[in-house]
Amino acid sequence: MATASAVPAGPPMLRAVSSQTQPDQGRLAARAARGEVGAFEELYRLNAGRIYALCLRMSGNPSLAEEMVQETFVRAWQKVGSFRGASAFSTWLHRVAVNVVLGHQRTTDRRGARVTAPLDDAVPERTVPAAHPGETIDLERAIGGLPEGARTVFILHDVEGFRHHEISGLTGIAVGTSKAQLHRARKLLRKALKP
Amino acid sequence: MKCDEMTLVLDELLDGGLDEASEAEAQAHLEECGVCAEAYRSLIDLRNGVEDLPRSIEPPRDLWPEIEAKIAAAKVARGRFGRRALMSAAAAVVLVTSVVTAYLVGRQQAVSTVVVAPVPPRAASEVLAASFAEIGVHDYEATRRELMNVLDGRRNELSPATMEVVSANLRLIDEAMSEIADALGKDPGNELLMRRLVSTYRQQVNLLERAAVLPREI
Repeated sequence: MATASAVPAGPPMLRAVSSQTQPDQGRLAARAARGEVGAFEELYRLNAGRIYALCLRMSGNPSLAEEMVQETFVRAWQKVGSFRGASAFSTWLHRVAVNVVLGHQRTTDRRGARVTAPLDDAVPERTVPAAHPGETIDLERAIGGLPEGARTVFILHDVEGFRHHEISGLTGIAVGTSKAQLHRARKLLRKALKP
Repeated sequence: MKCDEMTLVLDELLDGGLDEASEAEAQAHLEECGVCAEAYRSLIDLRNGVEDLPRSIEPPRDLWPEIEAKIAAAKVARGRFGRRALMSAAAAVVLVTSVVTAYLVGRQQAVSTVVVAPVPPRAASEVLAASFAEIGVHDYEATRRELMNVLDGRRNELSPATMEVVSANLRLIDEAMSEIADALGKDPGNELLMRRLVSTYRQQVNLLERAAVLPREI
């Protein structure tokens, strides 16, 4: 007899953003909005790692991820005056980063230059974040090998914690499509990670 | 609940998206079906694996200096050529237009009695400085220098082809600016020329600003 009932239905996975870190990023953002580059640099130092992780996972390309991080912060600087503090600054910044990444994907898709390899056959060579060894690297590699649509939704939903309606708003796909892509991604990952 | 129905709701069950009754029904099925229970367990393992992924990965190098340079370029351009400056420029153009119109009307009325001495041509830089001053811009040269420095600092990041395109465009703009300056030297306050000056000036700033934020190529 199966024992899965002992496992409760899980909450949504990690939310995109934790509570505000110290120092108060909202105050730093307000100072940045007044033109203080030093305050904005502090925001960069506090958020660069998370933004780079997002860009690296989404792009699978370290050089491109660096470009995306730069573009994210330049764009954030240009728009920081519109940040009203309705959400945490890091949440707002994550959205800017996601838009930058998706913008790159659209441009690349339009140029027809991107080559995607389905996970069903083989995991293509993509750079894997090398922060954790072993199983984590296997998972990173498997995520990197997902087809683009499934990978995007999986990273946004399961890694970054966006909800389906938010993903729909960010990417322009329907909520149902987002759910279907997530289902597909999880199925492919389970298969890839099966011992 | 049957297995094929269970397959459809496994993700919702994992994400807590089922209502109470559906969740109870799904849990009941999991107690009876080893295959579905195994599938659900593998989903939970996957979720646990994702939770163990590092949330933050430091970039391999400090990206701030480049970001700061791009911000500086944008700041220079915004501060000096932003909406306020352009509105001043537009207002100045309107003012110049009015003055020129009044002058032309006055000249037409007085043409039979007044001989207007030809305006001697002035040096291009002098004309440009005077013309920019008329539209409320007093640091054109300094701004251009700053933006050029930012562009120069990107020589190791942009491909030679891109640098050549930017340089070629800048040369064209410089030539246009020089021609406008020549013409303004002979016909100061010419409304059309002043408009062309403002337009060329914006093109130049836009080009430099865009070049400063182009994605790194090298």
